[in-house]
Amino acid sequence: MSVAVPQMPQCWRRETKAHKFCPGCGHGLVLKALGEAIDELGIQDKIIFGCDIGCSLLAWDFFNVDTVQTHHGRTTPVITGVKRANEDVIGIAYMGDGGGYAIGSQHLVNAASRNEKITVILVNNTNYGMTGGQMAPTTLPKQKTETSPYGRDVESTGNPTQGPEMVAAITPESAYVARGTVSNVRQLKKYIKRALENQISGNGFSFVEALSGCPTNWRTNAAETWKFIEEDMTEYFKVGELKVPSKKKEG
Amino acid sequence: MFRTSNILKLFAILFNNSSYKNYFLENNNFEVRKIEDRIIEAYIGEYASGKSENAVNRAVELREQGRKVTLVDLDLVEPFYTLRPIKKQLEELGIDVVAWETRETMGLGEAGSIIKPAMKWVLRREHDIILDIGYGVEGAKTFNLIEGAAENKDLKIFAIVNTSRPLTASVEDIVEYIRGLGKVDGLINNTHLGDETDWEVIEEGAKIASEVSKELGIPVIYTAADEKLKDIGITTDKQGFPVKYIHRYMPLSFW
Amino acid sequence: MTEKPIQGEKRVFMTGNEVVAWAALAADAEIMYGYPITPQNEIMHYWTRLAPKHGRRFLQTEDEISAGFTTVGGVLAGRRAFTATAGPGNTLMQEALSMAEMMRIPIVQVVTQRGGPSTATVIYSQQEVTMTCFGGNGEGARIVYSTSTHQELYDYTIKAFNTAWKYRFPTHVLGDGYQSKMRESLTMYDPQARGIDMVPTEPSLGNEGTPGVDREPNHLRNTYNTEDELYDVVTNIMSDWEKYAPEIAEYQEYDVEDADVLVIAHGVVTRAAQAAVKELRAQGKKVGHFRPVTLRPIAEEQLRKRVEQAKSVLVVESAYGQLRKILDNAIYGLTTPITNFFKPGEGVTADEVVEEVNKLL
Repeated sequence: MSVAVPQMPQCWRRETKAHKFCPGCGHGLVLKALGEAIDELGIQDKIIFGCDIGCSLLAWDFFNVDTVQTHHGRTTPVITGVKRANEDVIGIAYMGDGGGYAIGSQHLVNAASRNEKITVILVNNTNYGMTGGQMAPTTLPKQKTETSPYGRDVESTGNPTQGPEMVAAITPESAYVARGTVSNVRQLKKYIKRALENQISGNGFSFVEALSGCPTNWRTNAAETWKFIEEDMTEYFKVGELKVPSKKKEG
Repeated sequence: MFRTSNILKLFAILFNNSSYKNYFLENNNFEVRKIEDRIIEAYIGEYASGKSENAVNRAVELREQGRKVTLVDLDLVEPFYTLRPIKKQLEELGIDVVAWETRETMGLGEAGSIIKPAMKWVLRREHDIILDIGYGVEGAKTFNLIEGAAENKDLKIFAIVNTSRPLTASVEDIVEYIRGLGKVDGLINNTHLGDETDWEVIEEGAKIASEVSKELGIPVIYTAADEKLKDIGITTDKQGFPVKYIHRYMPLSFW
Repeated sequence: MTEKPIQGEKRVFMTGNEVVAWAALAADAEIMYGYPITPQNEIMHYWTRLAPKHGRRFLQTEDEISAGFTTVGGVLAGRRAFTATAGPGNTLMQEALSMAEMMRIPIVQVVTQRGGPSTATVIYSQQEVTMTCFGGNGEGARIVYSTSTHQELYDYTIKAFNTAWKYRFPTHVLGDGYQSKMRESLTMYDPQARGIDMVPTEPSLGNEGTPGVDREPNHLRNTYNTEDELYDVVTNIMSDWEKYAPEIAEYQEYDVEDADVLVIAHGVVTRAAQAAVKELRAQGKKVGHFRPVTLRPIAEEQLRKRVEQAKSVLVVESAYGQLRKILDNAIYGLTTPITNFFKPGEGVTADEVVEEVNKLL
C-alpha cells in the first residue's frame, strides 16, 4: 500500500517537513504560494531568502535555497545589503506585520522609497503570534489581544496599518505592490510571481502583503478562522494589486 | 559708514517690507560701489589644501601694511578645522574676523552649518575682505550665499593646490578639479607634507602648478612655503613663481 | 577590476577620515554602507568621491541600524564590506554587531569616537571603548584596534579586513574625532607591493549551484531552541576567541624595562604619553609607557608583566575609566598601586601627563 505524500513545491526542503507552524497557520500557505512561484520561474538557484523574527523565523530551513534568519525588523536591510553587494541574486525578505510595520517600519519605508530591487513578502495575521498574541499594528478595531484585552481602542492605539497602501504611495511607478490572501492561494501565487518578476527584470521594489490566519492566538476553529480572514480582515484590508508597472491593475 | 550691527538691526525691522528692503539694498549697494582700490580675495580649494592657512596669512599681511581687513570663515562643510580657535589672536592684530566661536555654536556638527548673517552681508563692508571658502562638492557655490559676490568685479578667486593630496596630485586631476570650480583668477601652489616638507616637495608641486597654469590659462600667483624654510633664502622657485613664506596658524586651530 | 588606486608607495598629507577611505580602497573593499554622523562624515565623502572611479559601491542607509545590517548583508554576499560611525550611531549599530558576533560575520566597522553619553559633543573622546569592545547582548568576541596616527589608521584599516576575514570576528578600527580631523603626512601603499595579501572573501549566501540539487543549502540562523544548543554555540565561539586572542593581541612599549612608573594609555592619548616619557627620561626619571594597540583582545601576559615590574601605574584616558576596566580585568590579582588620570571628552597633553607622573615619583 502506498502512502499518500502531499504535493510540495520542488524547492521546498523535504527533510524539514512537516513544517513547524501551528495547525491551521497561514504561513504554510504563503510559503506554498512562494515555493510554486519560485518553481515556475525556475529561480531556485538565485534566491537569497531572509526571514525575520516572529513566526516567520520558522521558515529559516524551509526551502532548498540559501537562507539567513535575521533580527526582528532587520530582514529588509540585510536583504538590501545582499542585493546591493550582488545584483545577480534574487533577494526575498519574509516577515510579519510587526517586523514590517512596527519595529522595522523605517527600513520598509526607506527601502521602498529607494526602490530597492528586492521583494518583501509580509504576512499579516493581525497579532504578534510568536510572543503570545499581543496587539500588532494590523490588529482590527475592537479585536481582543493579550495587550488589548478589552478590544483594540482606535482612539488610543490608532487604526490598523494599511501597509500596501503606504508602500504604493511612496514608491515610483516601477514598483509592484499587492495585497493577497491565503483564502485565494492561486491569486496570491500570481501576485508573488509578479513581484519576483519585477525584481528579475530590474524594475524596482516589490511588495506583497498576505492576509493570513492565526487560529492559535485568535482561539478560533477552522470555520471561524476563515470567516475572520475572509470577512473581518478584508473589511479593512482590500485585496488586489495596488501598483503594477505598465500593466492594468487587478482588484 | 554702516556698522554691521546697525545693518542687522535695520534689516530685521525692514525685511518684511519689500519697498523698504529695496530702498535699503540700493542705498547700501551705493555705499559699496564708491570704494576704490580695496582688495577682495577668496581662497578656495580641495579639503585640507591650505585655504584657511593662505587666507589668514594674506589677512595678516594686509593688516601689517596698515590696511583695514575683514577675514571671513565660510567653511560650511567642514566647520571644525576653521578659524574659530585663532579668532581672538587675529583680532588682537586688528583683523575683523567674521567666524563662529566654538562656544557660541550649539551642537557643533550636529545642528548643521549655520551661516552668520554677518557672513551673508560681508561684501557691504568697505575695506579689504579675505574670504576663506570651504570644500565640498559644491564648495564654490558658497559664493551664492554672499550677497553681491556674483556681480562684484573686485573679487579675485584663488584656488589653492597641494599636490601631496592624492585627489589633486596630477596635472589631469587638478585641471579637472579647477574647471569644476567655476571662475578662478589665480592658482596658489601650497604643496607641502606638514613637518616633513622640503624644497624638493615644493618644487615638484610648482612644476605641476606650472603645467596646470598653461593648460587653463590661469596664472600662478605664488608658491607658498613654511617660514621655517626661509633661511635657505629662496625667493623664486624653479618655475619662476614668487615664493611667499607663510606662518602656519592652523595647527592651533583644531576644532 | 580597474587599475590599482595606489601604485607602489606615495607620501601624502591628509586628514584621518580621508586616510580611512583611501585605506579601504587600497584594501580592495568593495562596498561601504553608512549613515551621516559627525565626526565620521568625510570617510563617506571621500569614499563616494573615489568609489565609482574604481568600481566600488556605496549605499547611504536610513539609519545606523540599517547601515549595520546592510553591511552584514554585504559580507554574507561575500563582499569585503565596511561601515563607519560614531557615538549614538555606534549605539544603534550594536544590534547588527551582535548578530555578526553570533554568526561569525566578518564585518569591519570604523569608529570615530565622539563625546558621550547621549548626543554630547561631536568633537572627541575615548568613551566608545566599552561599547566597541563589549556592546550588544554578548561576550564581546570582537577585535578592536585603537589607532594613534594617520599611518596607523591606514595600516590598521587594511589589516582590519584581513583580521576579520581570517578569524571571522567583527573587527573594529577605533579612532576618534581628533584623528578624524587632524592633518598629517603618511605613506600610502598598495598592500600587495608590501607583501600583504588580502585574505580572500567568500559568500555565505549565493554560492554556485542549485541548493538541494547540486549542494546543500546554507541555512544561517542566530536563534536557538534550547539552553544546551546555545551553550554549545557560545562556548565554541569563545573557545576560538581564546585560542586566537594571543596571536591577535598587539601592544607597544616605550622605556618599560626599568620603569618605576608605568603610564598606560591607548589611541591618540599614547602620543601625549610617549612625549611625556621622553621628557621625563631626559630628566633621568624612570618612567615607561605601555600602549595596548588591540583593546580587545588585550595583550594580557605582557601587560601583567610590566605592571608587576612597576612600582606605580598611571592610567590616562579621555574617558572615565573605560580603559581602566579592561586593564583591571587583565591584571586582576596584582598589587601595584594604580592612579587614574581621567579626562572624559577632553584631550590630554604631554605636560599634563608629566605633571601627573611627577606626583607619583
